[in-house]
Amino acid sequence: MTGPTPTKPAPLSGIRVFDMTRVLAGPTCTQILGDLGAEIIKIERPGRGDDSRGLGPPYLKDTEGKDSRESAYFLAANRNKRSLTLNLTSPEGQSIARRLIADSDVVVENFRAGTLARYGLGAEDMCKANPRLIYCSVTGFGQTGPYASRGGYDYLVQAMGGIMSVTGEPDGPPTKVGVGVSDIITGMYAAISIQAALRHRDATNEGQHIDMALLDAQVSWLSYVGENYLVSNEVPERLGSHHPNIVPYQVFEAQDGLMVLAVGNDAQFKRFCTFAGIAEIAEDERFTTNGGRVTNRETITSILADIIKTKPINHWVDGLIGVNVPCSPINTIDQVFANPQVEAREMKIEMEHPLASNGKVDLIGSPIKLSASPVSYRHPPPMLGQHTDEILTKLLGLSEEQLKKLHDDGLIS
Amino acid sequence: MDEKGPLDGITVVDLTRILAGPYCTMVLADLGARVIKVEEPVKGDDARHIGPFIKGKSAYFMSLNRDKESIALDLKNTEDKAVFEKLLGRADVLVENFRPSTMEKLGYGWERLHADYPRLIFASASGFGQTGPYKDRAAYDMVVQAMGGIMSLTGHPDTPPTRVGTSVGDITAGLFTTIAINAALFQRHSTGIGAKIDVAMLDCQIAILENAIARHVASGETPQPLGARHPSITPFDAFHAADGYLVIAAGNDRLFEALGLALGRADLVTNDLFTSNDLRTTHAPALKDEIEMTLGEKKVSHWLELFTAKGIPCGPINTINEALADPQIQARNMVVESKDTAAGTVRMAGNPIKIEGMPDPTRRNPAPDLDQDGKKIKNEL
Repeated sequence: MTGPTPTKPAPLSGIRVFDMTRVLAGPTCTQILGDLGAEIIKIERPGRGDDSRGLGPPYLKDTEGKDSRESAYFLAANRNKRSLTLNLTSPEGQSIARRLIADSDVVVENFRAGTLARYGLGAEDMCKANPRLIYCSVTGFGQTGPYASRGGYDYLVQAMGGIMSVTGEPDGPPTKVGVGVSDIITGMYAAISIQAALRHRDATNEGQHIDMALLDAQVSWLSYVGENYLVSNEVPERLGSHHPNIVPYQVFEAQDGLMVLAVGNDAQFKRFCTFAGIAEIAEDERFTTNGGRVTNRETITSILADIIKTKPINHWVDGLIGVNVPCSPINTIDQVFANPQVEAREMKIEMEHPLASNGKVDLIGSPIKLSASPVSYRHPPPMLGQHTDEILTKLLGLSEEQLKKLHDDGLIS
Repeated sequence: MDEKGPLDGITVVDLTRILAGPYCTMVLADLGARVIKVEEPVKGDDARHIGPFIKGKSAYFMSLNRDKESIALDLKNTEDKAVFEKLLGRADVLVENFRPSTMEKLGYGWERLHADYPRLIFASASGFGQTGPYKDRAAYDMVVQAMGGIMSLTGHPDTPPTRVGTSVGDITAGLFTTIAINAALFQRHSTGIGAKIDVAMLDCQIAILENAIARHVASGETPQPLGARHPSITPFDAFHAADGYLVIAAGNDRLFEALGLALGRADLVTNDLFTSNDLRTTHAPALKDEIEMTLGEKKVSHWLELFTAKGIPCGPINTINEALADPQIQARNMVVESKDTAAGTVRMAGNPIKIEGMPDPTRRNPAPDLDQDGKKIKNEL
């Protein structure tokens, strides 16, 4: 697939976002907005920049095969942005920020609650100055409640929000999800909120303040696992790779390795049994319905395990896909990016990068596929301060002398 | 703003079942959209039949379908199709999560929809997308968790690949579909034209791999599960104290120094092995041993109190009941309830989108019974 031919600019074209976020949750949000066409001005501390620039190894390799300054972590969440260094702790830096915000549609920030208000850049002041402004704060715990002033990290929220307690083997320790999933899902919710607020502004001409918290988002995506507790008062435990409500839906060991079998309904179970040559099992009244299989989980699982281990993964995956029974090998990351479906969907993209050894950097594509106004990839993840002069010249009309003075004073870098 | 959500006035016709699609339309409903759930007569959404049940009603279904209306329509029946088409005439958004080509077979492919309802936004959420070699395959959450690589990153170095403990494959697809719908609604305001949206669960798994691809490309190594440890920030791990686990996330040098001092282990801060994040990541196991040696002297609660007072990010590893009883979660109204006609009071996760002035009631409208609103909706048409 080469993707749809764009007939319209990406949907958020013309929207300007003043982005004071760092690390992962906020940058995920603004990267999504950027993919959808918004102009993202990323504000970074002079000198050091976004903390995530230093979160390596690994770093992008330069032409000599040495580590560049750009961490993989930073590259993952910062395309389609331009970088402006600005010292927000100085009155002059704050004044420049206020002038840029006056011309922005959206502010996104993830400072601790109260910090930006001290700089005169808080939601209340900014929304008063620009009533159409949408101001989104992303924090660990939100602007309210007993933990409002605490710093929050993905990991703490995975621990506190319960997802670690249900991830991992039943006899093993609680397990962190292998990516910063609390951060990422919070970033997605923030993007949803901002767009809904843009729609509200179109209807009413009114901006607003959005208060997004990692812990809130974590609770919502516990989804049915949280709900199972709320209705039963039984504390959900780790099931390894089993599903609490569906059987068989887990990892099985085939002759040559591990695979996943995910039978979602009774008809699929019947087709599985027929393919596996155990049609009589599907007729056994203990196992004909999902409810019966959940009740007799151990019995049915051990019957299936005995059969599955007699044949290699390919036998099962190819054969079962042919009869529409969901299953998959458990891919490692290199296998994922070699997968033909992942390739066909353009989930790996390539952008030019001046520091990279071959001038290119591989990035993960956007999963949002719009037919007429698709996402666009315009800027590679920026180098620190790469666009400072350009932005200040174009948007605020600063002269070369003024820029030089700001540089000399260390307010920009 | 007034007491309505930002999507007030938007009507969503919702053909989705089970989890990914209903999660999307729940978020839209939370934001103020009117969601009309169109269900197969008699059987309804498959999720109505997934346990656990309260007085015969699925808790799974109820937790995903609050604040929606239900009408039962057979999309193969001429009369019902006429009702459905009238509904589409009033809709802003149509969401479905059938397998690709099902909508064409029903006579509702994009070309016809776009010709008849040019303002309609048509969103499809599917396992593998509307294109590519796997498009006709069935997918469930666990299949895309396995195929998309997240299982290979989750777990401990000596355990098998591990499924994330909830259906993150479905949920992220629901959220990306919501993002796409909102973007299309925004664009429609200026262009007057709808859009076709194609979101795949597998794509979404790739999109949330964070830095895994960059790690793979930069180092040539295949990222492996690291247990509870962060791949590139140290110390950022679950640690054993005297009576259980806690999590410490000292994300920079300043916090590491504060941690060393709080532990009474200034020696760690000056140790040449641990002076930068890079070095700490390289020597993560040695640092963990040192930290646990001291943590083991006191209980989890002691350390949490101390670290919190010093501003060091830390937390307990809560079970689900502990998480939902947490005072912060209570203060944020993240557990709401609805009064179901049969099941009584049902508690469920609240809406994490907190917008100043937007209503965030603790009491929500219950998930509808099958066809509960069918008559009312037909009368409106």
